[in-house]
Amino acid sequence: MITTCLRSVAALISLVAIAACSSKAGDPARQYGPDPYLPEPHAYLMPPMRVPEAVDWKAGEMPTASAGLKVEALATGLEHPRTLYTLPNGDVLVVESNGPGTEPFRPKDFIAGKVKARAGAGAKGGNRITLLREAGDGRPELRTVFIDHLYSPYGIVLVGDTLYVANTDAILAFNYVPGETRITSPGVKLTNLPAGPIDHHWTKSMTASADGSKLYVGVGSNSNITENGMAVEEGRAAIYEVDRLTGAKRIFASGTRNPTGVAFEPQTHQLFAVVNERDEIGPDLVPDYLTSIRPGGFYGWPYSYWGNHVDVRVHPERPDLVAQAIKPDYGLSSHVAPLSLLFSDGQQLSPAFANGAFISEHGSWDRSPLNGYQVIFVPFVNGLPVGKPIPVVTGFLGKDNETVHGRPVGLALDRSGSLLVADDVGNTVWRVSAMQSGT
Amino acid sequence: MLAQEPYGKVRSSGSLQGSRARPLLHRDFIGAGGVLLIAAFGTDYMYYTTALWQWANFSAWLITAGLIVTLVAVFLLLLDFAAGRAGRLNTGSFILVFAAALLSLVNAFVHSRDAWSSVVPQGILLSAVSTILLVIAGTRGWNLAMSRTTGDRP
Repeated sequence: MITTCLRSVAALISLVAIAACSSKAGDPARQYGPDPYLPEPHAYLMPPMRVPEAVDWKAGEMPTASAGLKVEALATGLEHPRTLYTLPNGDVLVVESNGPGTEPFRPKDFIAGKVKARAGAGAKGGNRITLLREAGDGRPELRTVFIDHLYSPYGIVLVGDTLYVANTDAILAFNYVPGETRITSPGVKLTNLPAGPIDHHWTKSMTASADGSKLYVGVGSNSNITENGMAVEEGRAAIYEVDRLTGAKRIFASGTRNPTGVAFEPQTHQLFAVVNERDEIGPDLVPDYLTSIRPGGFYGWPYSYWGNHVDVRVHPERPDLVAQAIKPDYGLSSHVAPLSLLFSDGQQLSPAFANGAFISEHGSWDRSPLNGYQVIFVPFVNGLPVGKPIPVVTGFLGKDNETVHGRPVGLALDRSGSLLVADDVGNTVWRVSAMQSGT
Repeated sequence: MLAQEPYGKVRSSGSLQGSRARPLLHRDFIGAGGVLLIAAFGTDYMYYTTALWQWANFSAWLITAGLIVTLVAVFLLLLDFAAGRAGRLNTGSFILVFAAALLSLVNAFVHSRDAWSSVVPQGILLSAVSTILLVIAGTRGWNLAMSRTTGDRP
């Protein structure tokens, strides 16, 4: 009883201490690579929040690319473009989407919702896929609504003559005839995916195995850190393997809080994912990451992060699972919000980007100074990420970091090897190409 | 006849005529806000024993609602003074309710955290202390000022 009282007093004193301290974010470079710096977690009365105000790109304004590359707008005026996909004939598909808006509302959401909306996160998605056909000069010669009336779509992949689209609640299969610019037939449902109730992390990233027999789907958690209860986390925060012909599915790996991008490394055919880690325990916790995905692997969420660092917000604790938690391969630093993972394909863009992965960083909301808001390249050697990330496309933020013109989401390489970047605040698809290449 | 009696002392002027106090507007709202904040301790305790998220959700809303109702009560208290209904400030009760409201405001922020840390340990501790203060204020009648009897009017 006395110890309980003493503990209570200590808890209240620590509360006053928390109210007094303000934690400043450190250098993100300390959190790149396999062994990121991990500070002590904090419990806040008001977690740090900083979001730039969304301001449209003015005519002629655009992001900046690294040396030797140029940027131009391929398409503008889209409705919250998220995922990009290049078809074999060179047509580019743009998935225009946003969350289904089925989340619960708590007193804190008065504030959090307003803050996130400031940076354009609340805009309505088109729930459709737009097709862009490029002309030689980089301008689209054709733009059509390819598939309409979808339900918060995100992942998209073509296998043979079947186009798979991952809505937030199901994978749909569409028959695709090469060259066609509009699909009107309704898709056939391949399998359901975990969605409502709530559907907090709604995006369903998707890729296919090299032989086309299996689809891999990233399913995000239904909360930041189980604050909506454990029942709604059943089957979430996981990467699924779906049999393409039967629709049978199983959890391939788990504990991945929000796996927003999945892709196969082209040399080793190893599955990789970018994962968005948890919020509200500090500006430098927890680093988002890029990792190879082991079959049956458990990556910590919700019980622990970066291996066996226990998150005390989760109750009851599960030391047995924490002991199994796999350390991710490569830290991207905290709250950058990686949303797309794209392996490079040879040297078409630049010799520097011959071997490795492009990652779009949508940008932070609970960290000051801001982090992310760029497209980076992570070099790979022998099928594993090595060294420091290289910024490829930057300049999405205003000079004072108080405004934001765009936030990068989907990535794709077009037929000429140029990098396409979907921008869901500027509602634009940017095309980044080599300056000297005659394309 | 003396409607105020069960809730607290009615200052009597001593004369038979005009001894009836005009009712205080703020009192019932202090009571209602206090009850909401006390209820949050109940739901915090349920979350502490079950770890079922809906109890923590109840707590967050009860504290928010309790604070809003208490804020309304403060405006009504000022109105009571302005209208000459209230006499002397009931210092003891005022300090109890003020302290409970202040702790509950901090507690609203603690309850804005996610999952277990929104309640254990600091949240439920703040709810418990607020509850003790409010129960004492409740036994004193919820009124933060003495009623002024009509005979008292200067």
